[in-house]
Amino acid sequence: MASIKGLQSSTESDQQPIGDNTSTPVVSLKRITKTFPGGIVALDNVSLEVYRGEIVALLGENGAGKSTLVKIVYGVYTPDKGRVYVDGKPVFFKNPRDAIRKGIVMVSQVPQLIERLTVAENFLLSLESVGLASPFTLTSRISKFIERESEKYGIPVNPEAKVWSLTYTQKQMAEILRAIVIGARVLILDEALTYLPVIERRKFTKFLLEFKSHGGTVILITHKIPEALESSDRIVVLRRGKIVATLGKEEADAETIRRHMFGEESKRLTEALPRSKPGKRKIIVVERLRVLDDYGREAVRGVSLSVFRGEVVGIAGIVGNGQSELVEAIAGLRRAVDGRIVIDDVDVTNKGAKAVRSIGVGIIPDHPLRLGVSADNTIVENIAALFSKQLVIDWTEMRRLAGHVIKKLNVKASSEDDPVKTLSGGNIMKIIIGRELLYAKKALVAYNPTRALDEVSAAAVRGAIKSRAINEGLAVLFASEDLDEVLELSDRVYVINTGQLYGPFDLDTTSRDEIEKYMVM
Amino acid sequence: MVEAYAGLVVDLVAAFATFYLVAVGQSIVEKSGVLNLAIDGVFFLATGAAVYGAVSGLLGFKGPLVGTLVAGVIALIFGLFFNWITTVLPLSQGALGLSLMFVGYGLGIIIGYPARMKVGNLADYAYPADTTTALATLLAVVAFGVAAYFMLERTSLGAAIRACGENPHAAASMGVDIVKTRLIAGALGFLLIGIGSSFFPLMWLRGWDVKSYVLGYGWVAYTIALAAGRHILLLIPFSLVIGGLFRESVRLQAVLGIPVDLSKAVPYIAALIAMVFYSMTKLKKTLMPPSSLGKPFYREERTI
Amino acid sequence: MIAGILFYATILALMGRNPVEVIYALARSFVSPGIVKDFLILSMLGYALYVSFKGALFNIGGEGQFYIAAIGVIAITLSLMPWSPGQSTAKTILVIVLAVFVATLLGGLWGLLAGVFRGYAGIDEVPVTLLLNYVAYYTVDYLVYSIFRGRHTYGYIRTDEIPEAYRLNYYLPPRTSSGEGLLGSLSSLAYQFLREFALYYAWVIGLAVVALVVYFVMYRTRLGLLIRIHGSNSDYLRAIGVDVCRVAVATLALSGSLVGFTASLYVLGYLGRLPYPVEESTANYGYIAILVAWLAVLEYKLIPLAAYIVAALRDAGINLQVAQLGGTEQTFISIGLLLTVFTVVKVFTEYRIEVRHSG
Repeated sequence: MASIKGLQSSTESDQQPIGDNTSTPVVSLKRITKTFPGGIVALDNVSLEVYRGEIVALLGENGAGKSTLVKIVYGVYTPDKGRVYVDGKPVFFKNPRDAIRKGIVMVSQVPQLIERLTVAENFLLSLESVGLASPFTLTSRISKFIERESEKYGIPVNPEAKVWSLTYTQKQMAEILRAIVIGARVLILDEALTYLPVIERRKFTKFLLEFKSHGGTVILITHKIPEALESSDRIVVLRRGKIVATLGKEEADAETIRRHMFGEESKRLTEALPRSKPGKRKIIVVERLRVLDDYGREAVRGVSLSVFRGEVVGIAGIVGNGQSELVEAIAGLRRAVDGRIVIDDVDVTNKGAKAVRSIGVGIIPDHPLRLGVSADNTIVENIAALFSKQLVIDWTEMRRLAGHVIKKLNVKASSEDDPVKTLSGGNIMKIIIGRELLYAKKALVAYNPTRALDEVSAAAVRGAIKSRAINEGLAVLFASEDLDEVLELSDRVYVINTGQLYGPFDLDTTSRDEIEKYMVM
Repeated sequence: MVEAYAGLVVDLVAAFATFYLVAVGQSIVEKSGVLNLAIDGVFFLATGAAVYGAVSGLLGFKGPLVGTLVAGVIALIFGLFFNWITTVLPLSQGALGLSLMFVGYGLGIIIGYPARMKVGNLADYAYPADTTTALATLLAVVAFGVAAYFMLERTSLGAAIRACGENPHAAASMGVDIVKTRLIAGALGFLLIGIGSSFFPLMWLRGWDVKSYVLGYGWVAYTIALAAGRHILLLIPFSLVIGGLFRESVRLQAVLGIPVDLSKAVPYIAALIAMVFYSMTKLKKTLMPPSSLGKPFYREERTI
Repeated sequence: MIAGILFYATILALMGRNPVEVIYALARSFVSPGIVKDFLILSMLGYALYVSFKGALFNIGGEGQFYIAAIGVIAITLSLMPWSPGQSTAKTILVIVLAVFVATLLGGLWGLLAGVFRGYAGIDEVPVTLLLNYVAYYTVDYLVYSIFRGRHTYGYIRTDEIPEAYRLNYYLPPRTSSGEGLLGSLSSLAYQFLREFALYYAWVIGLAVVALVVYFVMYRTRLGLLIRIHGSNSDYLRAIGVDVCRVAVATLALSGSLVGFTASLYVLGYLGRLPYPVEESTANYGYIAILVAWLAVLEYKLIPLAAYIVAALRDAGINLQVAQLGGTEQTFISIGLLLTVFTVVKVFTEYRIEVRHSG
């Protein structure tokens, strides 16, 4: 392993716990509390110790606090209260560079490599920042070095390849090897392997065990139980900013973990909205759809589904399992590499958003600030762009529509001429929802339709969607990260996991437990 | 016959040396992610500085080499300022570049005009128009180019410069000092722009006129850099061909049998076609502009 | 603005010039009747570029659109429908209208061409419009040299003069007597301004037309709305089913046609002929208008004000030359520094907002 120039933290002032090397944890967190603006408590008095030569999995739902926890270890966030210790000594990391110099390296879900540079060049930049290379180090020298390290750890990486030519798996391999090369003793994998196909993921498992045997430590963050069970020695479950369980390899099984992850939540009965009576005609038909994500991974893997007139179909799933790409493809915003999308008997596959919109489809997209509004323009302008079809805009009519949306969804705005960027996130979301509900004549396709809304508004929006389906026969397909929302709003439920669709599930005969099982398997 | 060819070589080398060095400099600057629309102003400023350096006997030294050196240093100072301010402040690089272009024109006149007025024939202070000088210049310029290519494509510094142009945020998270790297790229790139520009009055025209700012030769170099996808080696044939087309447009029209004015448009049309060609082929990935070119280096934090 | 002037004064002092004298000469330009001409042309072009800049399309191809359009005027008035003695007023008007129309069309086509490169080949519009400027220059040179070469040019290579009948100027007689004292000189100055405005009456009308068209298109039509959204978030346009490429093409075509319209008035109201080679005697309006649009912070109402400032600074260059305080360089430096300082200071006003955002 490459050596690192030791750099002592300058803020060591407190008394240091003394202990011998074997029993001193490599990283320990003491009573960490972190609150974000808006009063959201991400971590509440969390303590955790991680030892040399072990693989610890941090499991939890979205928002459980696991990412925040490792970002504190990595110097991205500073805790409000509590302390981080490395090798028993308190540390204060201002940025990831400080953490890297202590041998803590994080690899995240999105590869942090520069696409148009070669693998070797990417490595070189990191090596220079830890003082292992100079500005005039040649890439050819680094290539040989990488090849050696690649063999040593059994991670196949081609140093001469341009990053953009690599597959997602290869990029993650390069990321992990880079972490090792720059001297990682503690490797944090923040959902770095979670979205890989199982077969690909297993290749990494072998390597992680190899790394461990060299004395390395791994902190693995995931919400997929099988991934956690595959390689870890210890499983720590977080829920709502607290550690709720620490399970040894032997005592951990999928069912126990799931219970801890979802807690009493999973028992909470959700008041489902009245069911609608679906019509006979299929409005949205998706057949064997395959869609790539921004990184060229296959995010949607052969999905088929249909939505009848007047029916609300919900797709449950944990974020990043392909639901965003699926919704974008149906909305005509992302190319399908294979399969077919038919809306109201019109084949709209790869015809673009215009074809979809002209049928009368409302779209509430993921990335609302990018795809849902133009922030510099006013509320009425955002609405007119979608509704006005004539050459000359009838601003009086558009003002009326904007006023309607503002009133109906109780948007906090001084007038319809407010630029959208002056509104809060929740109010921007309300503009989008109101506008799309108004626009939708045949169908509504939505992603997280009530994000950023308070509970009362969210319930009202769900009610409005349902009543459009029941009373006007609107076909609704939505994906949501909030399982409660899916259960409350849907007539029929699918689960999406790693790009594959499971179901449909009939809510009268399927328990919540069963749906969760599909989400985390 | 031999003299005619010798004359052609001397002419071609002058045009090539000017365009190639300026285009290489421009490419280095832009590969670091800084959009330089001040190029034509800097070009003219450097020609003025070259005239000043060549004739005014700075510290007792005169002649073309002093001119080249002064032009390089003046451009370098300009570049340090430009790359620094565009990196530390989230301002519009395009607008600032165009504004500074005017400042460059003005300063070029202020520096160059009095010096030009002092001497009769600037050719006496220019590089000798012989084949030996031409060949030496050719060798030196190509050597400079190859060295720049090597630095950019094979060293850690070069990787850092390109990383700044592609994804400065990712680069910063890898530990690259963005400001420092862009300052180095700016110094180096503008130095080459300055040196290249100095060849325009001191080797190509062998004269200088206040009005030469209207010629837009800096924009031609900018075009060459773009047309060759800012690829330092690919710039060699491009500079030679486009430079040659410029220098020899009279000969060209005789050969092609097209009117002289239309033959002047050929280099620009060629550059446009080259860009369309890249955009439609696999070369796109290699030769497309740096992803973060012209984008301010700061992050919008807002999300829903 | 003030910061820019102070900065400029410092530079002047460093150069060994008397800043007070220079600034006085600069200030005088702001009340000089000589700036009316530039003010009108730059206001029109400023609006033309405003259209594309609002759509975040950096049209720096004003120069090319300008001269390609100008050659259309030459073609109509000198070649296709030459003036014949005693022709009817109706025909004269028709020729003028046609010349303006053709110029507008040609400017639009030149912009559209850039738009196609940008929209459909995905090449950045900055290099494209820039390159097209040169293609336009040399095309115009070729045409002036060959088919439009004049016969009554005293041996110069250039086009003939456009006949007086097609010229859009109105000459007010110079006022012979002016009153005494301050009031007298003020009224005399006002009359000089009036004469200039009368001389370029067609441009006054043209400016009104351009300003109204731009306002109407940008704020009353769907296209204008789409352009403005394109400038802020083109992904949103895509999401609502708009063909983003087409918006880019339409924006640059519209911008180019307004440049073409302006060029036709410039040729008919002032230039009267095209020189050869055109790139060596251009007034660079196409480039200077970029600065007008930029200085106006892309605010519709501020375009004329920005045009006025830039026109005055251009005029100052000539004033300074007369006063032997410098020449063109002062114009360049004053315009350049003003805009540089403006660009930098602008960031600080915006930056505060950003900091609060992330706070």
